[in-house]
Order: sequence, then C-alpha cells, then structure tokens
Amino acid sequence: MKKKLMSAVLAMSLVGSLLAGCGSSASTDSAANTDTATTTEKAEEAAPAETTAAEAAEEATDAEPVTLKWAIWDKETTAYWDALAEAYQAANPNVTIEMVDLGSTDYMTVLATELSGDGSDFDVVTIKDVPGYATLVQKNAILPLDDYIAADGVDLDMYAGATDQVTVDGSLYELPFRNDFWVLFYNKDLFDAAGVAYPTNDMTFDEYDALARELTDTTFGSQVYGSHYHTWRSTVQLLAVLDGQHSVLDGEYEFMKPYYEMVLNQEADGVCRKYTDLKTEGLHYSAAFSGGDVAMMNMGSWFISTMMTNLQSGEYDSSLCGNWGIVKYPHADGVEAGSTLGTITGLSVTTACDTPDAAWEFVKWVSGENGAAVMAKTGNFPAVMNSEVQDLIAGLEGFPTDAESKEALNVSNLYLELPYDANCAEINSVLDTYHGSIMSGEMSIDDGIAAMNTEVQAIINK
Amino acid sequence: MADQASAVTKKKGLSRQTKRDLVAYSFIAPNFIGFAVFTLIPIVFAFALAFLNWDGSNPITFAGFDNFKQLFSDTFFKAALKNTIIYCVGTVPLTMIASLALAIVLNQKVIGRGVFRTLSFFPYVASLVAVTAVWKMLFHPSKGPINNILYTYFKVPLEELPQWFSGGLVLLSMVLFSVWKYMGYYMVIYLAGLQGISSELYEAASLDGAGTWAKFRYITWPQLQSTTFFVVVMLTINCFKVYDIAIMLAGGGSGELTTSATVLVYYIYQKAFMEWKLGYSSAVAMVLFVLVFVVTMIQFRGQKKYAE
Amino acid sequence: MKSAKNHAIAQKTIVYIILIIIALLMLIPFLWMFSAAIKSDREVFQMQPFVFIPENAKWNNYLDIWTKIPFAKFVGNTVFLTIVVTCLQLLTSSFAAYSFAKLEFKHRNGLFFAYIATIAMPWQVYMVPQFIMMRKFGLNDKLLAIICLQAFSAFGVFMMKQFYEGIPNELCEAARVDGMSEYKIYGSIMLPLSKPALSTLTIFTFVNTWNDYLGPLIYLKTETKKTIQLGLKMFISQYSSDYGLIMAGSVLSLIPVLIVFLILQRYFVEGVASTGLKG
Repeated sequence: MKKKLMSAVLAMSLVGSLLAGCGSSASTDSAANTDTATTTEKAEEAAPAETTAAEAAEEATDAEPVTLKWAIWDKETTAYWDALAEAYQAANPNVTIEMVDLGSTDYMTVLATELSGDGSDFDVVTIKDVPGYATLVQKNAILPLDDYIAADGVDLDMYAGATDQVTVDGSLYELPFRNDFWVLFYNKDLFDAAGVAYPTNDMTFDEYDALARELTDTTFGSQVYGSHYHTWRSTVQLLAVLDGQHSVLDGEYEFMKPYYEMVLNQEADGVCRKYTDLKTEGLHYSAAFSGGDVAMMNMGSWFISTMMTNLQSGEYDSSLCGNWGIVKYPHADGVEAGSTLGTITGLSVTTACDTPDAAWEFVKWVSGENGAAVMAKTGNFPAVMNSEVQDLIAGLEGFPTDAESKEALNVSNLYLELPYDANCAEINSVLDTYHGSIMSGEMSIDDGIAAMNTEVQAIINK
Repeated sequence: MADQASAVTKKKGLSRQTKRDLVAYSFIAPNFIGFAVFTLIPIVFAFALAFLNWDGSNPITFAGFDNFKQLFSDTFFKAALKNTIIYCVGTVPLTMIASLALAIVLNQKVIGRGVFRTLSFFPYVASLVAVTAVWKMLFHPSKGPINNILYTYFKVPLEELPQWFSGGLVLLSMVLFSVWKYMGYYMVIYLAGLQGISSELYEAASLDGAGTWAKFRYITWPQLQSTTFFVVVMLTINCFKVYDIAIMLAGGGSGELTTSATVLVYYIYQKAFMEWKLGYSSAVAMVLFVLVFVVTMIQFRGQKKYAE
Repeated sequence: MKSAKNHAIAQKTIVYIILIIIALLMLIPFLWMFSAAIKSDREVFQMQPFVFIPENAKWNNYLDIWTKIPFAKFVGNTVFLTIVVTCLQLLTSSFAAYSFAKLEFKHRNGLFFAYIATIAMPWQVYMVPQFIMMRKFGLNDKLLAIICLQAFSAFGVFMMKQFYEGIPNELCEAARVDGMSEYKIYGSIMLPLSKPALSTLTIFTFVNTWNDYLGPLIYLKTETKKTIQLGLKMFISQYSSDYGLIMAGSVLSLIPVLIVFLILQRYFVEGVASTGLKG
C-alpha cells in the first residue's frame, strides 16, 4: 500500500515531467503546423482579394470592433507611439490599438521570448534591429507580407532600397515606418570659441580628423573633446562600410583597420573620451553631447528630436549645447558625400495574430504616407522620405536654422547598419565582442580583426 | 481462517502505518510539490535538452553529442571556461583566508564586537547593482579616487594607471570585489565553527606555554577542518555560478563581455536568450554542472576522511 | 609577569588596528555612496580636498528619484515579492523539515536525497527549461513566476531539518504520549523553539529575493512589474552621468534589507551554529 502510494507519487511526477517535455514539443509542432496553415490560407485568401482590396478595407472599417495588441518600447519618452495609434484610431473607429511597453534595453530579446512557442497575444510587433528580425523570422513568429504587398499594390520603391536589405529568401516580413540615418552633430559654440570654421557637408575623413584635433583642448578643467564615439561598434566599425565596397557580413575585416587607427589615435591624444572610461561610467551619448564639452559626435538622426525636445523642456542646459548643428557624415577619399548608415524600424504581423488582415491594414497605414506625416510632425524620420517630409522636419521649432543642417538631411547612399543574413545575430555578437576587445586595448587592432575573421568565417561556413 | 486473520492484522497495521505516512506526506507536500514542479522537472528537462536542437519555436530535432562536440572548437566557450576557473582559483582561497582571519579576530572579547560583526556583514546584504555602481566609481580608470591616489601619491604615470575593468585586470577586480562582498557571510559560518571549539583545549595549551600561532596551528585550524571544507565547497559552487558581478563590472556598450571577462553563465544566457540555441546552451550548462558535481564529490570524500 | 601583560596589550592593539582597517574597508563604499548621493556631478570625483557633505548638498535627489522613474512601483513589487517568498519559504520548509527530522515514514531517505542532490545544482543549469515550462503555465512576465521560482528551495528544507535534528526527540515523544497530534506538536513545540533557524533563513531568503537580478531579468519584462534591482540597472543606463540620482537610488534600495538584518542579526550566528551550516 505504502509502496503503491509512493509509486503513484513517483509515477505522477514522471508523467508530469513527460507531459511537460512532450507537451512543449507537441504544441510547438502544432504551432508550426498552424503557422504554415495560416500562411497558405492567407495566400489563397489574398489572391482573389486582389481586385477588391479597397472594398475589403472599407468593409473592415464597418466590421465588428478589432483590438490590436502592439509591442513597443519607451512609451513615456517617445512621442510618436501615441500619435500614430491615435491617428489610426481616428481614421478607423472600429480598431482599438493596445500598446504594450517592453522597454528599450533588451527589447528584441524580450520580444523573441514573448513570441516563442505559442501563447503569445501580440498582433503587431515593432522590429527594432536586424538581428532580432532574423531571430523572429527563423522562429516563424512573424508573417511574410509578400501576398499582402502584392494584393494592395504597395510600392516598395518608396523605401529607397531599404526593404531589399531585409528580404529573406525573396520574402519580406516587415515594413519600415521609421528610417534613421547617421549624421555628425556639432556644437557651434565650441567652434566659435576656438575660432574654427564649422564642419561642412563635404568632408573627407582626413579633414574630419584634422578638424577634431584642431578643436581639442586638453587643459585640465576646461577640456574640449574634438570628437566623441559612443561605445557601440557602429560608431567606429561602420565608418568603414561607407565606401560601398564592403559589408560587415563579409568575414574579412581588414578594411576596418584605418578607422580603428584613427579613433584609437584620437583617444591616445585626448581628442575623444577613452572607451574604457565610457564603459565604466556607462556614459550615455546624450549626456556626453549635452554636457557642452564635445565638439563633434557621430550619431543617428533620432538624436535630432531628442535634442529639440530636451532643449525646449529645459532638460538640457541650452548655454552648454543649445547652439548646435548637423552635417553629413565624413566620407572616404574618392567617394561621393552623403553616404551614410541607416537603421530602419519596422512593423510585422505575428503568426499568432487572429486578425492578420486588420493587423496588416495597420502596418500598411503606419509605414505608408499617412504614418510618415505623423512621424515627421513629431520630429522623427519616416521610412518614406521625400522633400516634403524634409521640409517639415527642417521647419520644426528647434531645428538648426542654417542651410547646411537642412542640406544634411539629403542622403545619397544609405547602407543598413546590418543587412539581413541567416547568421546575423551570431555575427553581430562576435563583432560586438571584438570591438570591445580592440577599443579597450585588450587586443591590438590586427589581432582583433584576425579574431573577427576567424570567428565570423567559422559561423558562415558552418 | 488463517488468511482472514492475517488479512485483518495486516489491514490494521497498514491503516496505522498508512495514517502516519499520510501525516508525514502532508507535512512535506506543500514544499515538495513546488520543488518537484519548479526544480526537479526542469533539471530532468535540462539534461534532455543538451542532446537536442531547439530554438523554442520550431520542432525539436535530435542532436546526439553534436552540441558537446561543438564546445571543443568554440573560442568563446573556452574563454568563458578559463575565466570562470581563474576567477574561482583567485576568489576561493582569498575569501577563505579573509573570512577566517576576520572570524578569529571577532571571536575575541573586544569592545564593539557586535558593531564590527554587523559592519562586515553589510556588503553581503547590500544590493549588487548598488555596490557595483559604487565600485565602478571608486575604481574609475581616470577619475576614480583609487587611481587618483596612485597618481598623486605613488606617482604612477597617467598612461600607466590601471584599467580596472578591462583586459588582464578585470578578473582581478572581480575577485577583489567578491572577497569584499562575501567575506562577511563566510565569516559568520566560521564564527559558528569557532564557537564549537571547547575553550578547555586553549586553556590546556596556555598551561603548556603555547603561543598564539601555536594555538592556531595545533587547535583552531584542525578543529575547523569540517567548517573549512563546507566553506570551500560553498565558495566554489558560488564562484562557478558567477554572472551578475561580471556583467555589472565589465559589461560593454551593448552589455557584451569580451573574451577577457566572459564567464560560463553569461555564455549560457547569451546562447539561450539572445541566439535561441537552447540545446547548445544546455550543453554548456552541463559542463557547469559537471564542474560543480566534481567539487561536491571531492567534498563528500574529504568529509568522510575527516569523520573517520 | 609584566612582560606578559605588555604582550597582551600589544596583541589587543594589533587586533583593534586590524578591526578598524577592516571596518573602514567595509564602510568606505557605503560612505562614498551616501556622500555622492548629495553631490553635484562636478563634486562627485573631487579629491583635493575630499568633502563628505558638500556645501550645497542636493538632498532633493532623494525626492527626485521617485518621480524620474517609477521607483515607488519598483519598491512595491520588490516588497511584495520578498514578503510572499519569505513567508512561503519559512512555512513550507519548516513544515517539510519537521517531517524529515522527526517522523518515520517510507521513502524518507529517497525523498530527502532528491533535495540534497539539487542543492549543488546551480540554478543556471536549468533556468532555460524552467523558463520554457513557466511560459507554458502562462507565468511569463508575472510576479507569480518569481514566487514559484524562489519559494520552494531545497536549501531551506535542508537547513531547517539540520536544526530540528538538534532538538531532542524526547520532547516530541512526550507530547505524542500526551495525545498531541503531529500538527499540534509542530505548531506549539517546534515552531517556538526554532526562532534562531527561522531568523537565519529569513535573512538568507530576504537578501536573496530582494537582491536577485537574473531571475527578474528573465521573467519580468513590463516596466510596471520590474523590481528595484532591474529598475536601478535601467536607471543607471538611462541617467548614466547623473551620479547623484544613481547613488540616491542605491542608498534607498539598501534600507529595507538593512532594517531586516539589524532586527534579526542577534539570532544570526546562533542560527548558523545550530543549523549545522558549518558542515
């Protein structure tokens, strides 16, 4: 009897563990099945719907109320989430947009966790970076949008090639609604004080380096740093891909050497803050630039709206950084000015979504012209970029008034920080790691680059 | 008849014993159910996962020993393993010596003993995020007071000031930090051990004219052997588990750890939650388990030896 | 005779010098934290001369932190988690430990071995499968997940069992002869005796739950569910240069643990000694 009881307990716990084990595999199987099922269904549905896409949209508006759960980050500090949701709800009264703030720190990790297996209730998710996008595509967590794009006749040309760099085996899983590009921010007061001419929209890296050195003042107590590089690898490594000849997915990284040399030499001469200091402090780039002792800083265009908002609210001291401007990124010799890096932020429909058609309508609206107008009004750069949007942003209160700054918004070539690749999450972490090793002096530039080559090639050849 | 009788007694005996068992199980049940569901089952699952490939969404495939084979050629795994072991080798003896010395001093009759005990326990109860933030200020490579003192009073040239949180020094910083943070905890365990030593032993030794060192060498140290074993094993297990100290002291721009600071648990976390290679990450976890298991076995052996 | 006395005095002096050095080493980071919390960014790293309390002390950093981030929410979550986990841990482990220490039943050793075997198992070894399972139960991003995670540790059962084994069996036997039920014996005899052990376990559990970082990092994603540790870390990355605020937040996060520790610490050494933790 006792034995029986014990064996019953044991059996129960065993069954329990088996259930837990099988349960997860079984349900993932079924999840995967339903995924493929819904996709094919959708393909079938979408094809005949082609002619009546507009009508379908009309119908959807009259149809029963839909609630879309949308994953975002930093709701409090970012103006456009609410603006987009409100504008869309005003245009589509039957739709309720419910935003869930997952925080920006580990957004893509958190999102991938949320969307793993089944049980997720998100309908639309914001895609913050390409490695995270690759993860979600590989996990079958987001839907391919090709059929919708074809059915509704969305013209991908308006994204100026950005979507090509995130196409996976011919399919597109996200539509960008925001497209940030990197520019050079500078503090005019520091240039005036040093009696040096402002940077221009057409500078080579050598000219940029000389300018940074000219502005630098290493006197203790009144330091001025000619340049500033945030701790991300993008701020250094990606200066090297602007010539259009190289990509960070190559597996051969010798081309980065001159740029590491430039930055490390600047660091040694006190032109910029030390990487190890920045890492220890965790100094945020906005704090560095708004502190008023950094003359030039390369950063994404998202920082434009941050500057405008925080100067207006008084969060930043305008006597320190109120007189600022932007110019285009410096360029390598013999390359046209205006080549820069881009970071797209996109929207995807989840495979777990019960109302994918309604979700798609929202994605299409936000990433299209309507969403672009809302984005521009909040001082952010929509993925659909045209001269009207540029005028709108350049005309906002707080935007630098000089002509150069406005001209800096004209981008000639845009390279994504990281194009899509099946292994891009892994490659990204290798590049991050060795960037840290090189910048903190743990490895020489040559050793670091050699290590990147070995490790990335091992990933590619796997 | 005989069968019946035996059945009756059996039934009676059973019911009494069963009742006792049921009472006992009712005591255990609330904890055991939670423990079984949230600890035992995941452990079984973890062993299985190491031999599978899974990304948390797509169907599971069988990997056999592939995950383990891959470990041998993985630079980052090897770096993590090496760093974790170096960190253990540095932290375990230092913490042990520091906490033993502290316990011996605080076991004497000194004024304010309670205050000193409480103070040395502060770092252990303080939150890691808060105290690492302070350490990073104190050891800041160019502004921190430690380097400031090295520069001003020891005339260390500016370029040669130690970079406490990168390169070769980062493990040293982690070791120093751990000793500081955890010595109070192990001191309490040593104090408990010291209080178990009979004072007669010391009195007898005093009569024989033994000095302080002799007393330590021939009474305290041998009497504390089992405590020391416990301390060393707990320390080793906890050192193998190090993660948050590394990430908070040495995490880079994207929170990454370079090959000079990466540790096993960070690698498990990265593989599992950043790259979704759950099988591979479990294989790394198995290495961690084997390390801890070996240390525990050594302890059991050692304890048996001392018990004899 | 005299030299022996001198010797003793010299020894005492050395002991005190060591003690003071150690106390300073232990305290300096906390003093620094307290001082930096009321300094401006310019003053924080100033060493010549070092001032402990600056002239224009920014005491309002202690107020600002509550509005800059949802600090009250973080505190609330952490207090809730810590109290629930500590109570559950104390209750269920002392309950189970009584059974293991004082009752005879089938498979006692087998069941206890299951506990022992997992003590040496680092949580990190099974955190991934545990997470997958928890998500299946719908516990992802729920405070309940942390409770389930922390409340049923093998360590608590092991510790309490060691303690109960030190209490003479005759006490229980006598009570049984008087016709007391096992529950009564546990409630009215054992529990009141186990104050030192319970205090020790409270400190361990409280400190662990309050300061846990990796667990909440994996399970709690929404900002309104985060704990103080996650909140502080988030705050540090957002307001990296604002040392005053960061330090003020850090000081505040220490207070509750210190209070609990100071209340319970007189039982602490006794508790560790009596639970056989020394091995």
